[in-house]
Amino acid sequence: MKTILIEKVLPLSVPATVSLIGFVFLSWWITTDPVKHLNESIPGMDNRSAEMAGSSETVIFDAYFELFEGVPAENSLGSWPRFRGRYFDNISREETEIPDSWGETGPTIVWSQDLGEGFAAPVAANGRVYILDYDEERKMDMLRCFSLADGKEIWRRGYEIHIKRNHGMSRTIPAVGNDVVVTIGPLGQVMCVNAETGDFLWGIDLHKEYEAEIPLWYTGQCPLIDDSMVVVAPGGKALMIGIDCKTGDVIWETPNQNNWKMSHSSIMPMTFANTKMYVYPAIGGIVGVSAEGETLGSILWETAVWSPQVIAPAPLVLDDGKIFFSASYGAGSAMLQVVKEGEQFTVDTLGTYTPKEGFSTEQQTPIYYQGYLFGILPKDAGALRTEFACYHPDDLTQLVWSSGKENRFGLGPFILADGKFFILDDVGVLTVAEANTRAYNQLAQYKILDGQDSWGPMAIVNGRLLLRDSKKMVCIDLNASS
Amino acid sequence: MKKENDKKIDRRQFFRSGTRTAVIVGLGGLTAHAANQATAKDTVWQIDPNLCVQCEQCAENCVLSPSAVKCVHIYDMCGYCDLCSGYFEPNTDELNTGAENQLCPTSAITRTFIEDPYFKYDIDEEKCIGCGKCVKGCGAFGNGSLQLQVRHDRCVNCNQCAIAIACPADAFRRVPADHPYLLRGYDI
Repeated sequence: MKTILIEKVLPLSVPATVSLIGFVFLSWWITTDPVKHLNESIPGMDNRSAEMAGSSETVIFDAYFELFEGVPAENSLGSWPRFRGRYFDNISREETEIPDSWGETGPTIVWSQDLGEGFAAPVAANGRVYILDYDEERKMDMLRCFSLADGKEIWRRGYEIHIKRNHGMSRTIPAVGNDVVVTIGPLGQVMCVNAETGDFLWGIDLHKEYEAEIPLWYTGQCPLIDDSMVVVAPGGKALMIGIDCKTGDVIWETPNQNNWKMSHSSIMPMTFANTKMYVYPAIGGIVGVSAEGETLGSILWETAVWSPQVIAPAPLVLDDGKIFFSASYGAGSAMLQVVKEGEQFTVDTLGTYTPKEGFSTEQQTPIYYQGYLFGILPKDAGALRTEFACYHPDDLTQLVWSSGKENRFGLGPFILADGKFFILDDVGVLTVAEANTRAYNQLAQYKILDGQDSWGPMAIVNGRLLLRDSKKMVCIDLNASS
Repeated sequence: MKKENDKKIDRRQFFRSGTRTAVIVGLGGLTAHAANQATAKDTVWQIDPNLCVQCEQCAENCVLSPSAVKCVHIYDMCGYCDLCSGYFEPNTDELNTGAENQLCPTSAITRTFIEDPYFKYDIDEEKCIGCGKCVKGCGAFGNGSLQLQVRHDRCVNCNQCAIAIACPADAFRRVPADHPYLLRGYDI
């Protein structure tokens, strides 16, 4: 019996045990889900609404008008008629000597006005100041006209539209020209009114009529008045359109075959090789559109080599066909070169730069002055973040100078007048610095505004500086101290 | 031989010196324990968000796995944006919940549509490893409503915090246990 056990059963027990273990392991392996603790992340898990960005309301443009007691400033010859001023460079050419500083008390605040929350900024012409405000109580985009002299309101015109607070509500800067004021509202409504009386002339809803997709945080595009035309970039059914200033008739439309979308950036004119063109960085790519002659409205060149998700700064036209583009959210900047070969225009990429590699700005458009670029570096520019800096366009990786870590400015605007930079930080501190290409030389610094998010671009007219925080606009006299 | 004999100790000496050593060690231990208890009861470790540089050391150095450091969301400070720089990779093509678009390596942030144009972002602490990638993104372009904090339902309050030793920004410090959180821009 013992012999049988040893000779027959024992040799079988080892493979049987191994088989049993193998069977158990195989069963475990087959029945166990190794990824049962993983959760899938696929599109659509946020229950995003299919209908987003843009208003479904039908806008009645001439819905509201109110006249006030204010009167325009007399003998006001200066003007700041549009975003970045008359020459699109954010440089005031008024021959006014501005002091380096205003003593301990700071500059004189001539007047101030409460505004709806946002970043919309003013323009000024013929003694009047215009700003497209948002009236939260009436739920209206409200074009307000003030006297440059004392800030008293002259008239206001509005149309009903529901803007929800999304990092403020108002955004853009009007354009004044040809006796009219043209605005673009946060949800893409273009309105034209008489600059003197505020009478409504015409309106176009870019979202409704052109299927424009309103950018994240609403429209930031500022309209362009070019002679007798208003030029805007809807995206959607037309990449760019030209509108007759007086009648509101659309004169030309640029096809949008690439289905590029509206960005926060604004159209800038440029003349290269004796050809005038409109430059616009859309979401998807950059385009140069003919601004004259028989080809008016047709695409001269386009490129998708640099196409960030969010673009706020406008194109900065430099010399000899060079254009500098910048954007936020890690996109950095690009330097492009427009080239004409025969009758054809093309565009070369001279360089693209991450925020840590080279010069870029996040929200404001840089200033090109004395052959150098000036601007506030973005928040993701490493050690130089939010410093005011100077670079040469031939080498955007080589810092010429910066304001240093003691002087950071956030997302604030900056403007140049009388050889001085006026730089506003997020919380309303105005810094005056010498405009030179050698070193940062700060001349003065004053707390002007008490609010936050002082991001609306500034304007200078008749020696007066118009600036705002998220809820208040002030006018300061640059030639006098308080 | 003599020397070896000199080194020998008898049983009485052995017990005497042993008892003395035990008493000293015990007293030392008691003192240390009491001191530790007093300290532990009074203060806890916390990150100062004003100093934090989101270097990812919190995810790597905690004695717990995953780390006791988590991202917390201060909803009052949030912009509820569609394009949330704390949620999305920079320059992502689509603003949707696809894993390839998310900044968080463990998909620990839940994104929910509220109403046009608002989205809500919630932190799933079970998944959060405390790397701070979302905090960096939120701080760079958003309102800074995402912040790293030591979560005291997890932290074992080591006397020597391993993350505090590794922290390059000296952002770790002891704070009163009855005020255990340090949030930037928001009082609790």
